[in-house]
Amino acid sequence: MSPSPARRGRELPAPPARWRQLFGENGIQRWVFYIPVVFFVLFFAAPMTLTVVWSVFERTQFWMEPGFTLFAYDNFFTSARAENYLYSMLHAAASVLISFVIGFPIAVFIRRRVTRAAQHRVILLFILPFMISELVRVFAMRPVLGRNGVVNSVLMDLGILSEPITSILYSPLGVIIGDVMSFLPFMIFAGFLALEAVQNYVFEVCDDLGTGRVRLFTDIVLPLAAPGIFAGSVFIFVNSMGVALVPTLLGGPGAVNAGLIANQAIVALDFPLAMAISTIMIFTLVLLLYIGHRLFDLTKILEPIS
Amino acid sequence: MYDDFASPWNIRLKWAYLLAVVFALLMPVFYTIGISFNQHGFGARIYEFTFDWYRVVLGDTLLVVSLKWTLYLALATIAATIPMALLSAKFYKRTRRKVGFVALMLSPLFVPADIMGSSLLVFFKNLARGFAWLGDALGVSWFDGWFDLGFLTAVIGQVIYTHPYAFIVILITMSRYRVQQTEAARACGATAWQAFWHVEFPQIRVGVFSSCAFVTILSFNEAVRTALLKGGFDTFSNMLVAQMLNIGMSGESYAMAGIMSIVSMLVIGTVIVYTLVRAERLERRARAMAEPVMSS
Repeated sequence: MSPSPARRGRELPAPPARWRQLFGENGIQRWVFYIPVVFFVLFFAAPMTLTVVWSVFERTQFWMEPGFTLFAYDNFFTSARAENYLYSMLHAAASVLISFVIGFPIAVFIRRRVTRAAQHRVILLFILPFMISELVRVFAMRPVLGRNGVVNSVLMDLGILSEPITSILYSPLGVIIGDVMSFLPFMIFAGFLALEAVQNYVFEVCDDLGTGRVRLFTDIVLPLAAPGIFAGSVFIFVNSMGVALVPTLLGGPGAVNAGLIANQAIVALDFPLAMAISTIMIFTLVLLLYIGHRLFDLTKILEPIS
Repeated sequence: MYDDFASPWNIRLKWAYLLAVVFALLMPVFYTIGISFNQHGFGARIYEFTFDWYRVVLGDTLLVVSLKWTLYLALATIAATIPMALLSAKFYKRTRRKVGFVALMLSPLFVPADIMGSSLLVFFKNLARGFAWLGDALGVSWFDGWFDLGFLTAVIGQVIYTHPYAFIVILITMSRYRVQQTEAARACGATAWQAFWHVEFPQIRVGVFSSCAFVTILSFNEAVRTALLKGGFDTFSNMLVAQMLNIGMSGESYAMAGIMSIVSMLVIGTVIVYTLVRAERLERRARAMAEPVMSS
């Protein structure tokens, strides 16, 4: 803390009375804290809620007009879009599972085996890749996974492959790898944050009682970290389904997800359809978060910083 | 019972795994940067170091203009996001309805970029039409152009995207601040603002500056929401997407990706190094204060 007049014991100048009245605690200061709430209600909650209304509007040539029709939903559910949506859910679930298998042990290791003072420093290692543009990270997968890319070159140089694998890039596998590489750090952050709320003595008691690794993991670590795992999983699942960049760059011609379908609808000026897809996506998200909150009480994740 | 430290190889293996994952996450980015400095581009057997691709990018007027727009957008986003994140963190501390508030503040994290961008696009178009209609009804031209897609709508989109990150970082820093210090300052006659500015802010300053860095990077890197909400100008990442989709993976694309990665790594690297150095200094000071006074 830098030395300030208050700390040095000097008297602070009293603000003028009119200033106090206007900017004092009964003036603007009382309401200024509501600015973020108003902003987010106006520019986030309202657009997300109105999405449902716009999805039942009538489509016109370039825009839409008020009315009530379920044509956009009919269009979605009776076309290949619904099937593609389900496929993207499947790919997203695979990305969540792989991210959990790779990332959660790291969160447990950092929490349990790294000294308290160094834990946040180790977590910083994962901030760096997370902060590099997702666009660049996904783009960078192309020269790595491609026919002449690093993976094929290394495997061929080692004599494991006789010819390059072409099915990694521009395939569902490429999309899953892209999603995992993009969102994996979030599983580590959320898992670590949830485990941070668990006191050390819990693990010490288990060690003293000679609890085995499997039982410790299934009966202690998993239930205690459940809110974090769930939050991380929902983040990865929803973004895998909704970020169009990954299938666009890594999935090839046939690859789509919910975000890409919504984008294509916007490009085709079918705004009610785009809003219907957004509504289905938002409904999926709200349902997942509601179930998660009922089961695991997601506010527990914020306990260490509350 | 098991003990990792009884078997050093056990713990070394775990560290190796952790570092391998970090390497795997960063390797494609470094590989891309490597290609961007190769005269012959991707896939060539010969590697000749050059800055030519960067010269091409920085010599392209359109790209330089897009860089300027990106910078303006980042500055405007910081100016709006950081004070709002501070207010949100303060509000979170004092409100009793924490669940609803935190759900509203963190929800944008869980809404994918394309979905949020589409919803905001339709929202702003409707809002602009609503204001135009209002202007017509009142017979004034004052409302013309309000919320037309442009710089303002792009900033709003970016503020919604970056605010949750800044809010979390500031909240983490604030969690170490003891509220009794504010109470003491108030008891000594300081106003709420004076207590905040002279007592609380110096202690959370690191978090505020870190969130400035995060917001800069997030804003610099954002492509999807901006593409949908920007109106008539292009940002650097929008240009990169257009280049990748229309031209393909050219040397110029690699250089653009290289610029984005290097800028991000420099800013975040600086924050990480500063955080580590500061933590080390604070620890040393705490140790020195905890040491017993030695008689000479």
